[in-house]
Amino acid sequence: MSGLHQGDMNCAAAKDLFALYLYGELSFDEEERVESHLDGCAGCTKALGRQREVQVALDNLGIEPAPSLLRSCREELHMRMAEESQSLTKYGWWDQFADLLTGRSGRSGWLKPAGALTLLALGFGAARMIPPGAFGNGGALQMGVMEPSASRVRYVEPASDGKVHIVLDETRQRIVSGNLGEQKIQVLLISAMKDPLDPGLRAEAVETLNSSAKSSEVKSALVFALLHDQNAGVRFKAMEGLKPFAQESDVRSAFTQVLLSDANPGLRTQAIDLLTKGLNQDNPAQSYDRQVIGAMQELMRREHNSYVRQRCKTALESVKASIETY
Amino acid sequence: MAQKTGGQLEETALIRAAQGGDRAAFEHLVRAYDQSVLRLAMNLLRSPEDAQDVYQEAFLRVYKNLDKFRFDCSFHTWLYRIVTNLCLDHMRKRKVRKEEPTIVATAEGPLDRMDAVPEERVDGDPQRFLFSAELRKRVKEVLAELTPRERMVFELRHYQGLRLRRIGEILGTTEEAAKNCLFRATQKMRAALGDFV
Repeated sequence: MSGLHQGDMNCAAAKDLFALYLYGELSFDEEERVESHLDGCAGCTKALGRQREVQVALDNLGIEPAPSLLRSCREELHMRMAEESQSLTKYGWWDQFADLLTGRSGRSGWLKPAGALTLLALGFGAARMIPPGAFGNGGALQMGVMEPSASRVRYVEPASDGKVHIVLDETRQRIVSGNLGEQKIQVLLISAMKDPLDPGLRAEAVETLNSSAKSSEVKSALVFALLHDQNAGVRFKAMEGLKPFAQESDVRSAFTQVLLSDANPGLRTQAIDLLTKGLNQDNPAQSYDRQVIGAMQELMRREHNSYVRQRCKTALESVKASIETY
Repeated sequence: MAQKTGGQLEETALIRAAQGGDRAAFEHLVRAYDQSVLRLAMNLLRSPEDAQDVYQEAFLRVYKNLDKFRFDCSFHTWLYRIVTNLCLDHMRKRKVRKEEPTIVATAEGPLDRMDAVPEERVDGDPQRFLFSAELRKRVKEVLAELTPRERMVFELRHYQGLRLRRIGEILGTTEEAAKNCLFRATQKMRAALGDFV
């Protein structure tokens, strides 16, 4: 079919633009012409639906790197940065400066007297700035903390007694060991589950908590991760951890939200399975069952993924519910 | 001048701290972006080893050259320029070698290493059933047919969700050129997959 339709665009030209149309990357005029053509062409409307299916199929072929790969990348980078810093220190600014002064760098000798003067000035300044004995035992500088692994001066505050208070942000590593059942361990794992920058850590924390006896705090944290974590892998693990609670109303409500709003089709399918297991086949009119059935009927209305639709349809048929709302 | 958001201000502070030699600040920056960098490299190169190489090389370059970053574009754009150049180099070399690096010979016959990549899946992942081997095969074939630039623009638009204007900035070209590139890529995809679904 290639006849002309509204907006002076024929079918072939419209189809050429479907992908960019779905990406929202057409100019205003181009989009207007495509939409005007679609208004009067059932064939192209159907073809656009097929193009949308292709895009969904491609979505599912994207690779999400495993948390273990991300972790090993970070560890290697950490080591390589340390090596890099060492090599910079071995030939740092002081070596380069000394080279200039001594002429080792091969640059012109006029720098030598200038460098000598600079050295004198530096020595004078340093003697005034650094308190005597600051680098030796019993010096003026005392730190009541153990050596931190990273620290940064946040601010400096002169005090009335002539001293100065320096506020440091410090990061220190500490190993905390304990059983998974202990509250302090669970609190730390729940806090790791919320680390905004490290999905690998979040996934590991969820997995570890999944193997423990679950307190109500753990259950709530898993529900939070299932509904709010940006990473689909973490959400999958949280859903796994919630399986034992699949009959509880707050967890079923979370699964229903996943069913209707999670971007990942795998998670939506998993939600169908878990919700269906809990459906009372003899009495599907139970209140929470009615909500689940309603949610699945709503999903049938809006779902584009053919596999998810199929699973949802089978689930509805298994409890003798109608496929759609009328 | 546009107001900076809280997140941008925080990022600017992190960059300045890292420029001043604060390694903890640098590692925070890495963690803000490295997952999407690794995903980009993995999707483009389809080899965990090559993706890991690109990751290391990119962030080490950023580490060594951060003092040259002058805030005349966003940090994301600057980082992605480095990453996309490294990936394009890898893809071009691969085209020249005419190798298919994801396929390895095993005792059981040729194996696509990407099928063995540990992805974030649960047991019995329903996505496995979603796509037949035939669809996967055809997608791989058509992706291999794209030029490195088409592949890059497609990846940045489809999987990274970047707008064409940003993609143009990253690749050092215009939005229009990026659009043409995406158009060619999607035409090839449509020709190969259009009748499949």
